[in-house]
Amino acid sequence: MGSLVLEALSKRYGQSTAVERVDLDVPQGEMVALLGPSGCGKTTTLRMVAGFVPPSAGRVLIGGTDVTRTPPHARNTGMVFQSYALFPHMTVADNVAFGLEMRRVNRAEREKRVREALQLVRLDKLEDRLPRQLSGGQQQRVALARALVVNPAVFLLDEPLSNLDAKLRGEVRMEIRSLQQRLGLTTLIVTHDQEEALTMADRLVVMERGRVRQVGTAEDLYESPADPFVAGFVGRCNLIEGELETPGGFRTATGALLPCIFGPRTPAGRVVMALRPEHVQIAPAEDGPARLQAVTYLGAQTEYHLDFNGTPLLAIRQTPAAEDPLRRLSNGDAVAVSWNPAAARLLPAAQPDGKGA
Amino acid sequence: MAALVLPAGLLVSMLLVAPMLLLFRISLNLYSPTEMMVEATSAANYLRAVADPYYRQVLVTTLLVATGSTLLTLILAFPAAYWLARMQSRWKSFATVVVMFPLLVGNVVRAAGWLALLGNGGAINAALLGLGLIAAPLPLLYNTGSVVVGIVAVVLPYMILTLAAVIESIPRQAEEAASNLGARPLTVFRRVVLPLALPGVIAGCVLVFVLCMNTYASAVLLGGPQFKMMAPAVYDQFVRGNNWPFGAALAFILLGITLTLTVVGSAVLGRRYRRGKLEEAA
Repeated sequence: MGSLVLEALSKRYGQSTAVERVDLDVPQGEMVALLGPSGCGKTTTLRMVAGFVPPSAGRVLIGGTDVTRTPPHARNTGMVFQSYALFPHMTVADNVAFGLEMRRVNRAEREKRVREALQLVRLDKLEDRLPRQLSGGQQQRVALARALVVNPAVFLLDEPLSNLDAKLRGEVRMEIRSLQQRLGLTTLIVTHDQEEALTMADRLVVMERGRVRQVGTAEDLYESPADPFVAGFVGRCNLIEGELETPGGFRTATGALLPCIFGPRTPAGRVVMALRPEHVQIAPAEDGPARLQAVTYLGAQTEYHLDFNGTPLLAIRQTPAAEDPLRRLSNGDAVAVSWNPAAARLLPAAQPDGKGA
Repeated sequence: MAALVLPAGLLVSMLLVAPMLLLFRISLNLYSPTEMMVEATSAANYLRAVADPYYRQVLVTTLLVATGSTLLTLILAFPAAYWLARMQSRWKSFATVVVMFPLLVGNVVRAAGWLALLGNGGAINAALLGLGLIAAPLPLLYNTGSVVVGIVAVVLPYMILTLAAVIESIPRQAEEAASNLGARPLTVFRRVVLPLALPGVIAGCVLVFVLCMNTYASAVLLGGPQFKMMAPAVYDQFVRGNNWPFGAALAFILLGITLTLTVVGSAVLGRRYRRGKLEEAA
């Protein structure tokens, strides 16, 4: 068991930078998610912690000890791979026992701990099977047991749920989270799935192009995104480009003037207005400024894709009742749009690579 | 679908099975110095080959050289195959071509190259003499060692390519998982890579062993007149001795022993692998 600290960790491949000065402090027992689109450097960061990728600069500390130059086999991390990476020629029990064997744990103790680990993931009946005789979810749990049985100082998960079907994913997600909390594991999980990150991790690290964009809890990131990229990546968000005008408000790139609230930290000049779709109210109106482009019925919620003076705008409402006039809206109808100005956040547009949702 | 096999099947039966049957018939005939070949149905040629200490020695030499060369090839090929299989850069196809390159040169030409390198006046002895490290040329040529060197150089590409194909199918993450669980590189090799590469090791060894057993050019050119292996012995009977029946018998003994050892050897080596497969089926 131990904490995990990354200090200015960087990885360069020739001219290109995969990871740029990542700093992170994961205290004992905390679960942190590295979240970002593919190619953002999150997996490279995880592999540097495991020791598979030598960093170009910076340090990795596990339990206070510098392991930057320590080979993977001496780091005592427990990793669950995206493909599970079970040993195909060994039984479930032998797979789980492998790490204990490497640690020269005697046979009796080994068997006891393998049994316990398999009970932990509810696979104790399948210990004599080979990996290819198991379902994807079962293989996943073997991989978890194999990584956990050695009491790793740091638990590493590389997109652990991406090969499972949607229903199983939800189950395994809860299972991993409860194991992690029960065992007090210091955990780093890599994922491109924001829902996974939001539901499992204590804190999230949003990465893009090798850099950390923001670190915080799910609420921090959703309610106070630091920049348009984070706003667009964590949850869905309308990102409207424009400029601030004083007095008055926010002038969109297409020329409309929108009300907004200026705060002490409001950036000047070119900004992006971030507006969560659930904050956008709509109403049928003959002379409304927005035009309905598409309605997507999702059961509990309905998405309204609007064209607002040339700016695409997404509104998500609870599906209205059958008698509600909203229910009769169809494509091409004019609608009135409103939102609480306090719900619209103004973010600096400085990041040249900030992408919308 | 079965019809697609027909052309190849016909070709094989015409060009391989028919001559083999004919050769087998010849091996039952008898040799006469005056008439060359006398029609008979006799096992005399086989009995002579087994009883004659000279041919027993030729057979033993062939088996030892083939086994030794196969093992040496395996040891040399594995690291190269691993490196090739795990290579990710754009040089991979180039490296593959480099591995195959020796196959473009005929066995005889290659053996001639070894002559120029290992002979008394060859490059190595010339260099050592020139540097004053030795007073007389080292006998590098015309011994078992030079034959093995020649054979290994011929068969190495087959082994490397066979192994590389199998190693490529071993997920890299399985190796990383082992190392993550505390296995040192040698342990990763012994516990993960080697067992998973076993089918390739068997296939490569079978292929190479058959090639080694039937070595001709390397044995003749690098072994010298005193060194005898089975394939040159067969040739001698047919061409120099004009004793076709005895040559045919030698050829069938070579074929039978190669076949038996290959089947038995791969069965023994593959037992562990197949045991895994059986468990899967159960």
